[in-house]
Amino acid sequence: MSNYLEFNGIGKAYPGVQALKDISFRAEEGKVLALLGENGAGKSTLLKILSGDTKPDEGSITINGEQVSFTAPFQAITKGISVIYQERQLVPSMNVIENVYSGDLPANRFGFLKRGEMRKKTQEIIDKFGLPIDPYELVGRLSVAYQQMVEIMKAYRRDSQIIAFDEPTAPLTDAEISVLFRLIQQLKEEGKVVIYVSHRLGEIFQITDEIVVLKDGRMVTTMKTAETNEHSLIKAMVGRDIGDTYSHLSRNEEIGDVLLEVNNIVTEAVHDVSFKLHKGEIIGFAGLVGAGRTEVVRAIFGADPVLSGEIKLNGTPLHFSSPRDAIAQGIALCPEDRKEQGLVLWRDITDNICMPVFDKLLKGLFVDTEKSEDLAEAAVNRYSIKTPTLDKTVIELSGGNQQKIILGRWTSALIDTKILILDEPTKGIDVGTKAEVYQMMCDFAKQGIGVIFISSELTEVINIADTVIAMHNGHITGTMTRDEATEEAVLALAMLD
Amino acid sequence: MESTTGLNKAGGVRKFLNSKAFMLVVMIVAEVIFFTIVSKGMYISMFNVRNILSSMVITAYLTAGAVFLMISGNIDLSTAQVSTIAGVVMAKLLLAGMPWPLAVILTIAGSAFIGLINSVLINEFHFMPFVATMSVSYVAQGIMLLITHGAAVDVENPAIVWIGTYRIFKQIPVNVIFTFIIFAIYGIILARSKFGKHLYLIGGNPVAARLAGLDPKKMWYVLFINNAALGGVAGMLQAARLRAGTTNGIANGMFAGTTGAILGGVSFGGGSGGMGGAFIGLVMINAFNSGLTVVGVNPYWQTVASGMLLLIALTFDYFNMRRLEGLK
Repeated sequence: MSNYLEFNGIGKAYPGVQALKDISFRAEEGKVLALLGENGAGKSTLLKILSGDTKPDEGSITINGEQVSFTAPFQAITKGISVIYQERQLVPSMNVIENVYSGDLPANRFGFLKRGEMRKKTQEIIDKFGLPIDPYELVGRLSVAYQQMVEIMKAYRRDSQIIAFDEPTAPLTDAEISVLFRLIQQLKEEGKVVIYVSHRLGEIFQITDEIVVLKDGRMVTTMKTAETNEHSLIKAMVGRDIGDTYSHLSRNEEIGDVLLEVNNIVTEAVHDVSFKLHKGEIIGFAGLVGAGRTEVVRAIFGADPVLSGEIKLNGTPLHFSSPRDAIAQGIALCPEDRKEQGLVLWRDITDNICMPVFDKLLKGLFVDTEKSEDLAEAAVNRYSIKTPTLDKTVIELSGGNQQKIILGRWTSALIDTKILILDEPTKGIDVGTKAEVYQMMCDFAKQGIGVIFISSELTEVINIADTVIAMHNGHITGTMTRDEATEEAVLALAMLD
Repeated sequence: MESTTGLNKAGGVRKFLNSKAFMLVVMIVAEVIFFTIVSKGMYISMFNVRNILSSMVITAYLTAGAVFLMISGNIDLSTAQVSTIAGVVMAKLLLAGMPWPLAVILTIAGSAFIGLINSVLINEFHFMPFVATMSVSYVAQGIMLLITHGAAVDVENPAIVWIGTYRIFKQIPVNVIFTFIIFAIYGIILARSKFGKHLYLIGGNPVAARLAGLDPKKMWYVLFINNAALGGVAGMLQAARLRAGTTNGIANGMFAGTTGAILGGVSFGGGSGGMGGAFIGLVMINAFNSGLTVVGVNPYWQTVASGMLLLIALTFDYFNMRRLEGLK
């Protein structure tokens, strides 16, 4: 009997985003299938559907010819599916044996654990994979790589026939990666169906047999790994142009003096980063999730400590010990996660816009409600934020409008923003609003504001930014002008192995 | 005019929130009518109304502090114990012949110092507020017992006794007026000042607030110190009223201040609620307890009834939250 897994016309929509559409392919036993695509291509959503975490809107999953449908992860596990996520699902305070058995601890009829059996079986699995792991070690004390091995052992112990890996090598060193690959090879030889999600091209060629390429939630192509090469894979991932949005932008033509100079800054996540931002310039940071782009801007903004290096504003070296200091110098950050880091969701529009400037909105001892509302209203009008009243809590607004509220906060009449940092400003917002956000960025540049723009959508970065900086693993791997930057070139730098 | 579905929802939330305070007021009115009829008018006698108001005095300070802390997403379980120690310390200082203003100031400073310890444990060592303040509470209690050997310390200073017991026109206790003024000042700070705005924003989302240039840590320092100082004031007033610093503390112990706040709609999650609601909550608890006493309900049943009251209020909050979550 041969195992196989089939996706048949899977589709999934979130408010404002079609995350997946018409996904159909087949993964077979004894083969490693790669799921490849840029950030936001839909890989994670597909894995969530496979693991029973999310239900698809349309389409179905078939295992060995039997159609299955899950409403909770444990159902997927019973059907022999194990998904190994980047965030490990282990209990750090328990030992290897207990983690390998977590979920269905074997007990005798009095409810006591069959400890002997658990230990024996765990040791067997450890030996089978040839790993130097002590079964009694607490999982929290193991290295990240070994924790991952424990996850694999857990899947193996459950006798899962379908094992999916979500970017397993991201936190690993080269030596650890080779151990992981040996394990995957072993799983493959035992006839498991292995799905491997990654955007590291080198690995794809090393261990996979087939490749499914996703872009914007759709399948671009399916191919045999042996019959393709890096160049055509990158082309498939990048795909078609969004095109016109960009040619209609009214851009800033005058780039001024150096505004911000970053020299060799080092933080916990960033190594030796240097660049210059000019007045009216838009710098775009491209790279994969975890490349260190957010960490660079957080360091500039005083949100994370800078270990060494220098930040100069208009030629003056400055040290920010908190965002408050950076804001006082005219630096503003629209963070990546609007809901967690940008907004106070249960407060109203006025409060969220006036947040940094209440000291300028006082009448005597008290906050001047009228002045605050005028300020908020100006932002609502300027960015055409769709809301009936100013006292609506921001949780009730759409993603695009929420983003505009943060923009309104940093560009109000009471704040003199010289540098505006936008971290993934178009994430989770619809296409029409995206175009608006692009034009706003160009307008800020026209006012002489220096704009730093982080996005995981390559097309966006290379079409909006005057200067594109590619990052990988905490380092800057390349800097290009808009004319020089092509998706292929930037992607190659961002995926540098 | 409401034209879109989004707007209708907003109106619904607003109405719902308003109806919460409204509901509490309706409940209080019903309570008053009920107890007045059952007690044949005794419930609204001057004597009993004064009793109700007086019973609110001590908890009002603890509630004011608790409301601020809870809006910021914190809790302090040591406040009641700080009060007890403050009453005793003030009594001791007066007994030693210290002039009363100095004794009062020193006691407030000492209370604030305990708040500072709480702040340091929570902000610098990242203890959970619950754990840190509970531990501090026990330490404070122990020290208090060491000072007093468990015996009350008499307060005879005329000025302090005046604050504790004087009644304007022989009817209205001066400490009730004093308390209401302080409560109102805290209410105005919360509702109208920059500090109040920052408090709500930091409580609602400390990460976002920090990235918008606010200083959550400083805020938390101020709040814990303020809360302990208020606890100190409460303890001194208690001692002034009883003419003695006693060692048996405040009713409901660790949760004395939070109860009224919760009943009045301040949530543990932080970022919401206000002094108005907390005041209504406070009135409600005390009017209710007094009513049960006046109509002669067994005191054990009174405890059960108070618990039920809180459960009803929390259940109401739960449904309210669920409704709001639906909007996410």
